[in-house]
Amino acid sequence: MGIGYNTITFNQDKCDGCGDCMLACAQAKAGSDDIVHSRIQILTTDQPSGDPQASDSGAIELAMCRQCGDPKCVSNCPAAALTKNATTGTIDWHADKCVNCLLCTVGCAFGGITYNAEIGHVTKCDSCDGNPACVKVCPKGALEYNTSGSIYNRISDKDDLFVPGLSACQGCNSELLIRHTLRNVGTNVVVATPPGCIPGMGTVGYNGKTGTKVPVFHPLLTNTASMLAGIKKQYNRVGRDVTMLALAGDGGVGDVGFQSLSGAAERNEQQLFMCVDNEGYMNTGMQSSGSTPAGSWTSTTPVGKEMQGKRTDAKNMAKIMMMHNCEYVATASLAFMDDYYEKLDKAIAASKHGFAYLHVYAPCPTGWRFPAADTIEVCRKQVESNFVTLWDFTPEQGLRFTRSTDNPIKMAEYLKQIGKYRHLSEAQVEHLQRRVNDQVRSLKAFEQLTEVS
Amino acid sequence: MPHCKYLIIGSSHAALEAVSAIRMQDTEGSLTMITRDSHLPYSPTVLPYVVSGRSKADNVALRDQSYFEQHAVEFVTNRSLSSIEPDCNTAVLDNGDRWQYEKLLLATGASPIIPPIPGLDKVKHLVLRTLEDAVALRDASQKAKKAIVLGAGLVGMHGAENLAEAGLEVTIIEMQTQVLPGYFDPQAAQMIQSAFDQHGINMKMGHKAVSISPQSSDQQNTGCRVELDSGETLDADLLLVSTGVRPIFDYCSGSHLQTDQGILVDNHMSTNQKNIWAAGDVAQAKDFYSDTKVTTGILPDAVEQGRIAGMAMSDDPSLKNYSGGVPINTYTFYGQQAISVGTSDSSSGPLNGEPTDKLEIELTVDSDKGYFQKIIFKDNRLQGISGINAALDPGIMWQLILRRIDLGAVKKEFVAQPLETGRRLMSGTWR
Amino acid sequence: MTAIEKTIDSTLESACQSKTLVCDGNEAAAWGVALSRPDVIAVYPITPQSSLVEYVSQFVAEGIIDAELMNVEGEHSVLSALQGAALAGARTYTATCGPGLAFMFEPYIRTPGLRLPIVASLVTRDTLTPQCVWGGHQDAMLVKEAGWIQMYCETVQEVLDTTVMAYRIGEHPDVMLPVNVNSDGNYLSYGVTGISLPAAPLVDAFLGEKNVNWHAALDPERPMAIDPLTGGAGGPGPKMFVNYRKGQTDAMQNALRVIEETHKDWGDRIGRHYSPLVEEYRLADADYAIVTIGSMTGAAKDAVDEARDRGEAVGLIKVKTFRPFPVAAINRALNKVKAIGVVDRSVNFGWNCGPLYQETIAAAQKLQRFMPSASFIGGLAGADITVEHFSEVIEDTAKLLKGHSYDEPVWINRND
Ligand SMILES: Cc1cc2nc3c(=O)[nH]c(=O)nc-3n(C[C@H](O)[C@H](O)[C@H](O)COP(=O)(O)OP(=O)(O)OC[C@H]3O[C@@H](n4cnc5c(N)ncnc54)[C@H](O)[C@@H]3O)c2cc1C
Repeated sequence: MGIGYNTITFNQDKCDGCGDCMLACAQAKAGSDDIVHSRIQILTTDQPSGDPQASDSGAIELAMCRQCGDPKCVSNCPAAALTKNATTGTIDWHADKCVNCLLCTVGCAFGGITYNAEIGHVTKCDSCDGNPACVKVCPKGALEYNTSGSIYNRISDKDDLFVPGLSACQGCNSELLIRHTLRNVGTNVVVATPPGCIPGMGTVGYNGKTGTKVPVFHPLLTNTASMLAGIKKQYNRVGRDVTMLALAGDGGVGDVGFQSLSGAAERNEQQLFMCVDNEGYMNTGMQSSGSTPAGSWTSTTPVGKEMQGKRTDAKNMAKIMMMHNCEYVATASLAFMDDYYEKLDKAIAASKHGFAYLHVYAPCPTGWRFPAADTIEVCRKQVESNFVTLWDFTPEQGLRFTRSTDNPIKMAEYLKQIGKYRHLSEAQVEHLQRRVNDQVRSLKAFEQLTEVS
Repeated sequence: MPHCKYLIIGSSHAALEAVSAIRMQDTEGSLTMITRDSHLPYSPTVLPYVVSGRSKADNVALRDQSYFEQHAVEFVTNRSLSSIEPDCNTAVLDNGDRWQYEKLLLATGASPIIPPIPGLDKVKHLVLRTLEDAVALRDASQKAKKAIVLGAGLVGMHGAENLAEAGLEVTIIEMQTQVLPGYFDPQAAQMIQSAFDQHGINMKMGHKAVSISPQSSDQQNTGCRVELDSGETLDADLLLVSTGVRPIFDYCSGSHLQTDQGILVDNHMSTNQKNIWAAGDVAQAKDFYSDTKVTTGILPDAVEQGRIAGMAMSDDPSLKNYSGGVPINTYTFYGQQAISVGTSDSSSGPLNGEPTDKLEIELTVDSDKGYFQKIIFKDNRLQGISGINAALDPGIMWQLILRRIDLGAVKKEFVAQPLETGRRLMSGTWR
Repeated sequence: MTAIEKTIDSTLESACQSKTLVCDGNEAAAWGVALSRPDVIAVYPITPQSSLVEYVSQFVAEGIIDAELMNVEGEHSVLSALQGAALAGARTYTATCGPGLAFMFEPYIRTPGLRLPIVASLVTRDTLTPQCVWGGHQDAMLVKEAGWIQMYCETVQEVLDTTVMAYRIGEHPDVMLPVNVNSDGNYLSYGVTGISLPAAPLVDAFLGEKNVNWHAALDPERPMAIDPLTGGAGGPGPKMFVNYRKGQTDAMQNALRVIEETHKDWGDRIGRHYSPLVEEYRLADADYAIVTIGSMTGAAKDAVDEARDRGEAVGLIKVKTFRPFPVAAINRALNKVKAIGVVDRSVNFGWNCGPLYQETIAAAQKLQRFMPSASFIGGLAGADITVEHFSEVIEDTAKLLKGHSYDEPVWINRND
């Protein structure tokens, strides 16, 4: 298994070319305000070609070391002066060995290692030992230090507990989610997957064959939390500490499954209940559910002369579960893996004492009509636009945002990539925007309560 | 009979890169690397710095012993390949050992050409290709006073600078009228040469050594006298022969491997014989600009070819075709940088004979500042860029050439600022 | 006196020594539960079952029952939680009726397919609407095709005894099916009599070693998938499904044998013998018989005795085990008579008769002779079927022998 590393990521859309990162780098690395010493170079142009074919659309670009997994600069070095650091993942430059031949610069197609004439040798980004100066000063959040690589290290030697080749749709986010989740939860678990995409893709198996390496079962759509509660009771009775995990769709959570869920939460049953929210009944052919947002096209809220998609708003299940005062409640998105992992850890721990609820937003390429390759991008924009928000809650701590809701991208940026919103009128978009604003305001009020207490 | 899945001959850039490519795909298949060298792998390119003392001979290894253990590589030193029997997948070594391979990579590189100058074989002369050569040259430079360097290619120029810095009186004899032909045009070459002139190096350009004899006065017979085609004679107590290199493939005789200047290979570095690949200085592979096959003799190409060979040998599904050799040179002399990527001279090399109206040459020179920049476009595509003390990223330029990226819309900007424009273009391409 | 006010000894052993107890059917059921030592109990109250789960809860509170008690938010979750617990190896218990059973229906119909030997008391109640909270068999009769074993009790004592026996029947490896112990709402649930409580060690010996989890289960130590999807036509799915279903019906037939064995062993150990499937009362020399089910049988037997005194050659056939329907046993009884009158406490809307009537005459077909018969429907919504009512039933049934036939059911209690 390969190793994942932390990296600096650049979000071009957010960069305004201010150059603060370059100044910070030059100061950190050379104690100078001259950006010639910066190992990160932001590249702007005054003359956009406007021709997309010319591969220069005038966008802001970046040159810096990508800390390649299979670095050519290292291969090209005749003096063993560059090495890939197996622990940190950075490519380390060793001054004592460098002979200044510049062959490393021949190997790099990113402008990531370059000759600095002022100081007479090559320089490159060293990620500031995991605390990059550039990221810290970026006022727009265009630079981020992405630490999700460490997740892969954490789980890479853990067994993938679902069979290979689950029959999920292309680009399905749930398969990614369940593989990650089970790897982390481990084998001492009983998994409940109520009817929906998750068992539909074969997790419980077909025709007498199982889809997982752990005990797994189909509850009814309606009784997941209750069945898990019963299982847990018996294991507690015989003195065995077994984790209870539900992987449920939003219908089995917020609609027909809500009563048993609410009851189990009230009784503080020890289980980790995960809602994989794809905003509808996708397994049965994209019908509308209680978590389908207003305006959405679904097969039961079609678009026509008399109806333009769903007429009512979605309910905010995570908030409802917070009002149950569960041991732990959190929302998550797979575009923010490290955030998810942190919450998963907390949820597993909380489920040892009581009810833990994780609401994972799961955009569905098939049902929402967007290209399969865009799933994570849709996940990301869903969060960045505040359409959904990332937070967690415990009774002691209260609500805490794990990602700022300030400076959201425009709602339209999120909506425009998704087919089920293609027909939206301006008024409908405005409605969604208002709704999102209200949600954020209301959650912020809870956050303030947290701060006060 | 020893047997292995992958047998690699040679232990330098092409060989090492092939090994890492194989191990990405196949972590277990038995792999043996055999070299005639007696050291841990090192690069010939580092040798000038061993001569100058900047690098220590025991600190230049590209891999340490633990690498071989970690990657399940059997590393055999002091053994050279002497013949191949492709019909029975057998490689025969100098000690008579017969190795059975499933896949064989020939990465034996090149060795210095010793020109047929009468008398050269009678005098002590030095070359620079191995670590032993470097140590010998370094020792000799500490004793000698006057040096003659035959050839003003990369090795000769590096050698001359080193020797001069060590305090010797140095003369370079070069048959051609310019230094570093193939990488720089005459004008740029002249700028480089003038730095050597300024540092007191005697440049005998356009001259041939016609005969060489031992220096009569010298008791220990270390000195020599070189006679030029002009009749002039020069004495020296150190003679460095750097008149180019020739691929090592003597072991091919009788094997039916197709060879020319090197071992002929296709776009996957595969030879005409089943299960045999060749890469690096020893291989003669596709030229980027023409349909001919060439030996490039440069390190980045050895890496590139080694990678492709390794991927092909281990059936890596992401194997791509070799895009063809492009001349590339990064050369530091007296603290200055000369960089050349691709064609540097339209009057020689592959572009020679192109209708001139198709070529666009952008030249910027500031002799006072020692600044030179030459860009050659054809159909708005970059063909080559060379510069002295001009900032550019050769890796980016190489990609712009290989990908034949249309620079029509940004040409002015590119000519004014090749560094920034190149970076921006490639950043956009990579995203 | 309600359960809450009672003081009860705090272990099963000390509470359950052989002794006589005066109690109603709901309390008797709770003692039966206690003696069966369940692991997990889930409850939700509903009239007329409520005092039963109160007793059970009280027993848990006192320590007489050592079980996990789950007070869940509805009957649907009651049975779902028990399914989970049983899949983890627990012996389980609950009780419900009427609307509660209807709400439980979704997990209820799945329980037999999961082959989980859950025991659930049905304190039977008539179904809505009209709104009513009184006894009747309509709820139990509605779920007769779900695949549960159903036994109807006649007395308070039988409620206790059958509750214990239900575990041994359901958990038998040849059966592995859930069991309903049916007791009539009002008449048994609240009817107080003296009963004898068996000593705990006797019952422990009768039930033997508990081993609920030997079959398909959810255990990380032997991971398996419970209930993978079976595919549609063309693949192996339908064949799997069909064979699975057949196995379920085979188990149901095995239950007939196991119910008999179990009742016999209970009688041998505890000293109380019951007819496990069908009881024949004064049938040997009868010309005709009335067929009954549940607690009505007491009054019916009195009416038969009175009729005998009048010289009527009438007997009685009582059905205890309704699911599986004991076709052979009932035909052995029917073979002794020439006409029958069947009394139901529920209706079959489709055939305009009582369900027991329908099942009985269906069984009679196998006798290959014409069996004159009449369907009587009474005791709905807690109505009392008195000895007088049964005397009329006997009279009406006797008419069959004289060639009278009935096109419609005879409705009892219409003019009470
Ligand atoms: C002084 C000097 C300076 C240079 N500077 C530059 C530069 O600045 N830029 C640049 O791009 N290139 C430069 N080069 C060229 C560069 O070093 C070579 O292109 C590169 O090393 C080729 O790598 P290779 O693996 O193909 O062959 P080599 O490096 O030649 O390695 C060949 C290997 O094969 C082994 N071998 C040979 N024959 C046999 C046999 N029969 N049996 C077993 N083993 C055998 C050798 O021991 C050696 O390990 C320079 C070369 C020299 C000598």
